[in-house]
Amino acid sequence: MPEHIQNGMQCHEFEALLSDVLDRVLSGVELDRFQAHAQSCAMCGPLLTEAEAGRTWLKGLTEVEPPASLVGSILASTTGVDSQRLRATAHAPQPRISRLEHAQAWLSGSLEPILATIRQPRFAMSFGMAFFALSVGLTVAGVKPSDVRQISLRPAAIRRTYYATQAKVVRYYENARIVYELQSRLREFRRMVPAEPGPATQKDHKNDTTQQPEQREERNYSRSDHDYLLARAPLGPNRDDLPVVSVSTYRRFV
Amino acid sequence: MTPATVLPRTVFPGAQVEDVQVVAMLVRRCIAGDSAAWEEIVQTYNRRIYNICYRFAGSRDDAEDLTQEVFIKMYRTLSAYDSSKGAFVTWVTTITRNLLVDHFRKSKQDRMTDSIDTASSEHEDVLPLSEQIQDTSAPPDSHVRSREVSERVHAALGKLSPELREAVILRDLQDMDYREIATVLRVPEGTVKSRINRGRAELARLLQRTYKQVM
Repeated sequence: MPEHIQNGMQCHEFEALLSDVLDRVLSGVELDRFQAHAQSCAMCGPLLTEAEAGRTWLKGLTEVEPPASLVGSILASTTGVDSQRLRATAHAPQPRISRLEHAQAWLSGSLEPILATIRQPRFAMSFGMAFFALSVGLTVAGVKPSDVRQISLRPAAIRRTYYATQAKVVRYYENARIVYELQSRLREFRRMVPAEPGPATQKDHKNDTTQQPEQREERNYSRSDHDYLLARAPLGPNRDDLPVVSVSTYRRFV
Repeated sequence: MTPATVLPRTVFPGAQVEDVQVVAMLVRRCIAGDSAAWEEIVQTYNRRIYNICYRFAGSRDDAEDLTQEVFIKMYRTLSAYDSSKGAFVTWVTTITRNLLVDHFRKSKQDRMTDSIDTASSEHEDVLPLSEQIQDTSAPPDSHVRSREVSERVHAALGKLSPELREAVILRDLQDMDYREIATVLRVPEGTVKSRINRGRAELARLLQRTYKQVM
């Protein structure tokens, strides 16, 4: 607002006193100066009128009634208990809830969706099968529940178990190496000793084709790719009358 | 004794010392886990908070949602209230105002004073404000209590800028004193007075312009 001095009062001073005038706390000489400025200043006069009118409009607004369900909704969203229940229990002795119960309530609330999913039959079946497979696997591996119970989880015990397991693995590897060396030596000795001629046990396998399956297969697949196959047809007087069909067969590589 | 009668309305601006102590005790009980004390707080302040939200947001649905949010926030931060730093009602109003400002920023409903004939609120239906006023013969103060005029004033209030709107709501509708408003808005008292004056003048100008257009 540009500064104007009217009747010894500046416009910013007028604005500062405007609230007091509307609140009717200004009186005496100050009020006279204020009113004189309002009558003479082309900007502050209308401002006083408008502010007064606006205040009257606003003061005319009445309070609105909140919805009847509002309190209940608030209580339900904050304490989780509706109003009627609260009223009924307002004078009843409130049981002291321990932290453990709080934690249990929180856990049950947060785990409920997961448990609801798990309780479905298909998940129960899957978990049952998984448990069965695990138990069978552990039994085969020689793990017993009593062993698990005896496992110590102290850092020193875990460290000792680690080193013991490592020593077992190293020992096993060393033993296996010795065995392999012995085996290779034995093989060398056998090669050095001349082989004795064995009894001639030649059997007549003329009709035994089971000993040569590869050859049978080779015979089956050694046919030329462009052999002529004779279609089944009634035999005629001449061989030349038979219909001839050309078939291309492709060799399969398995 | 119903919870609503536990706290007299004098806990609001101009509260007596004993009332402030009553509120402080109620807050302490509530922090200790007394759900009945919390219900008393809700019963006492829900009307006030709802009205602030309604006048600021302009819609009953928004006001209901915002009031709930205010109480949820209050419930979570009740232990942060320090009675030595100010009245409980000031603290509550500060929470309400902060939440309203957040809501305003989110919804981006910046209705400036100049946009008088633009989009309408739920009270204006489809017609602009100028087309809804029918009786212009009598002075404003003779009609201000009528429901229709109240709704028009409410609609005009919604067209003020948020800074002016919150200042006039707290002063003229909630009867808070300048010091409390300055605390809530975190601005000097002089700024509060200036905003209130400008807000009132803007509102009157809006309504007068409407009348002129009808005439």
